[in-house]
Amino acid sequence: MLTFFSDTDCDITPKECAAYNIKLISMPYTVGEQVIYPYIDFKEFDSHKFYDMLRAGTMPTTSAMSEEAYIQHFEPEFAAGNDIIYVHFSSATSNTFNIMHQALEKLKQKYPERKFYEVDTLGITALSYNVVLECADLYKAGKTAEEIVEWAKVEVPKFPMYFFADDLKFFRRSGRVSGLAATMGGFIGIRPIIYLDNDGKMVSIGKETGRAKAIARLVKYVEELGEDVKAHRVVIGHSDALDIAAEAERQLKEKFGEDLIVIIVPVNPTIGSHCGPNAIGICFHAKHR
Amino acid sequence: MKTIELDSLTFAAMLRQGAVSLGKDKKVINDLNVFPIPDGDTGDNMLMTLKAGCNAIENHLGTLSELASAASSGMLLGARGNSGVILSRIFAGLTKGLQGVIVADTKAFAKAMDAAVSEAYKAVPVPVEGTIITVMREGTAGADASQDLNHYFETLLESMQSSLDHTPELLQVLKDAGVVDSGGAGLLSIFRGMNDALNGKISQEEIEPTAAAPVPTVELNKFDENSKLEFGYCTEFLLRLMRSKVDLDSFDEKEIIDYLNKVGESVVAFREGSIVKVHVHTFKPGEILNYCQQFGEFLTLKIENMTLQHHQTVNQNNASFKLPPKPYGIVTVASGKGLINAFREIGADEVIEGGQTMNPSTQDFLDAFSRINAQHILVFPNNKNIKMAADQAAELYKNADIHVLPSTSIGEGYYGIGYIDRDNPNIDDIIDSITEIMQSVVTGMVSTAIRDAEGEQVSVHTGDYVGYSGKQLLSDSPDREEAAKALVERLGAASRDVMLVFFGEEVPQDEAERLVADLQTQYKNLEIMLNNGRQPVYDYIFVLC
Repeated sequence: MLTFFSDTDCDITPKECAAYNIKLISMPYTVGEQVIYPYIDFKEFDSHKFYDMLRAGTMPTTSAMSEEAYIQHFEPEFAAGNDIIYVHFSSATSNTFNIMHQALEKLKQKYPERKFYEVDTLGITALSYNVVLECADLYKAGKTAEEIVEWAKVEVPKFPMYFFADDLKFFRRSGRVSGLAATMGGFIGIRPIIYLDNDGKMVSIGKETGRAKAIARLVKYVEELGEDVKAHRVVIGHSDALDIAAEAERQLKEKFGEDLIVIIVPVNPTIGSHCGPNAIGICFHAKHR
Repeated sequence: MKTIELDSLTFAAMLRQGAVSLGKDKKVINDLNVFPIPDGDTGDNMLMTLKAGCNAIENHLGTLSELASAASSGMLLGARGNSGVILSRIFAGLTKGLQGVIVADTKAFAKAMDAAVSEAYKAVPVPVEGTIITVMREGTAGADASQDLNHYFETLLESMQSSLDHTPELLQVLKDAGVVDSGGAGLLSIFRGMNDALNGKISQEEIEPTAAAPVPTVELNKFDENSKLEFGYCTEFLLRLMRSKVDLDSFDEKEIIDYLNKVGESVVAFREGSIVKVHVHTFKPGEILNYCQQFGEFLTLKIENMTLQHHQTVNQNNASFKLPPKPYGIVTVASGKGLINAFREIGADEVIEGGQTMNPSTQDFLDAFSRINAQHILVFPNNKNIKMAADQAAELYKNADIHVLPSTSIGEGYYGIGYIDRDNPNIDDIIDSITEIMQSVVTGMVSTAIRDAEGEQVSVHTGDYVGYSGKQLLSDSPDREEAAKALVERLGAASRDVMLVFFGEEVPQDEAERLVADLQTQYKNLEIMLNNGRQPVYDYIFVLC
């Protein structure tokens, strides 16, 4: 048997996991002294409440999981004789995967027969969500782990995500975006446009003045880079900015037709701690990232 | 007027006038300081010490003895630096000499001055002649106590002056530097002021403020990984002798003083009740602290690396607490609390209060520059009438490269500052990008018309709200919101992407919010950001990009 794992940084919810038979790893974030595990410490993610807290000045932090935590997730599967495929968020944005591999080394000695397959979505939030669903479709269709990994090798680089945020202090603090000008653009309505490159790293590739132009630029990327856009999902992630996400959806459907599959997801709090409120990103199927 | 008896009220006025006099001479005295380490702050240290004494006797009622005692206690706690400590000892001696005295005649005061001399000498284990103690001793010795106090002070000042004049003969370091002793000069200044007050010349002016930060100016990068500790640490503390550690009655502070003399230099130490005040220069302050702690506990403690002090003086630098300069500093001009705050928030180091109705001076800019420690300072005058003063200041200022940007409005300044990429090491790039963004910004204002006027597009009536941009009158209405809406339209809001709105101190927040909501409905693609500028004169400032 093959067990499919994903994590909360991919925006996938327990309900969706149940439908696809996915086991969910909860990625923690910390508010003040309190470490919070999504969907363990709360049932439903109240996105509005969380991002309002950030707007009011709270700056949550995130941290890597322990080796022990990974062992607790994976060992029962190996012990039961199952192999594992784990489709996860970009390893370039966190060192949690180094710790995971240490845990796997230990498990390998104990369960030398068992196999661990890994799909790095080279993304976060909407991008990862899109790739997880694609992989889950294959899994559900009975594809083998090798087949899913092969698909990912070709297809993951074809799922770009372009995004922007209102308040740059979160990105600047996280230090995870390269090429970000050290300006105070947030105060004057200037937004850097950021994308995830082929290594799963966040890179700033330009800027737009005003929200309207920034949305238009994201939509333009879908038009110009898109490939078989309608044969795949278009996922819009937003951090409590549903009106912006809805406007992007409206423009996309205007360009591609009403039958375009658009899914709007709230950005999970762990990733949201790094992008702050009022960020939106669009992930779609493209010629390249 | 002859003063035969000195009472507490007069003495209080004398101390205060002494501080006023020292405050005036402070700069000159600071510049005299070449001994023992050229740290250039003798005047400040003495003034801070004396002011602590003056503060302690404010509204003080009582006998001369009680007043002197209160002043002396204040100085003990406030004493700073070598000269300050000795000054506090001089007044402690004076207080001892005046003990139990209700009012003092010349003889009693002269006797107290003798006690002050001996206390000053006791404070310095190895008295160095040619310093403040010499001036005190020789001055007192030359004073004539046979007549009234006025005469005593007159002769005291004369002999103090001649003593001060020959300090270079006694001390080679002064002669080499071509100056008289700074501590002695400070002392003379104080007694001059006291003499003024004695003769009824009491000025109502405030005592010159001393350097605001109690931390002396330090350039931390002057002592780096390869520096050599040339001068040791200036170590000062108040030690409370503890009953649990020593027998207070039999303990002789000489034990500490002898030890200090063995391990340190420039030792000034004395005991007042159960408190021992110590000033010492040492290479190993830790050992001294450990040693002294066996007798008591510390009340206050200050340790400074004198190599830093030394370098700092050599460089003639007066900026407070110097860190390595940052690449870019920003100076701008605005009025209104909210607007000033907004400029600070977006990264301005200094916001000079001013604008159309109040143009800042060249000096205002120079002062602002001097408070910034940066390689480049970018200046946003935000007004054509202010740019010249900024340009002139840029010409005069030498401690940084000053770049005056041609911002002619609040909007241009705000956008320009917001656009500075602080990580970009290339100043020319930065200026190019700022200039570009400033050109793409348009600013409009709503204010009240103070007279009728004919614009090309509108007629303006006195008392109406008028909207304008630069010199162009663009809207006029008795209704503020109407004037604002018409202005926004004429500024081309329909083809703009972002509009910042700063509402003024006259405008209620709900009016501003309502206006923004209306404008948002009208201009769907325009991102409107509302800020409470609380600025005077302009009810609304609109910045469109």
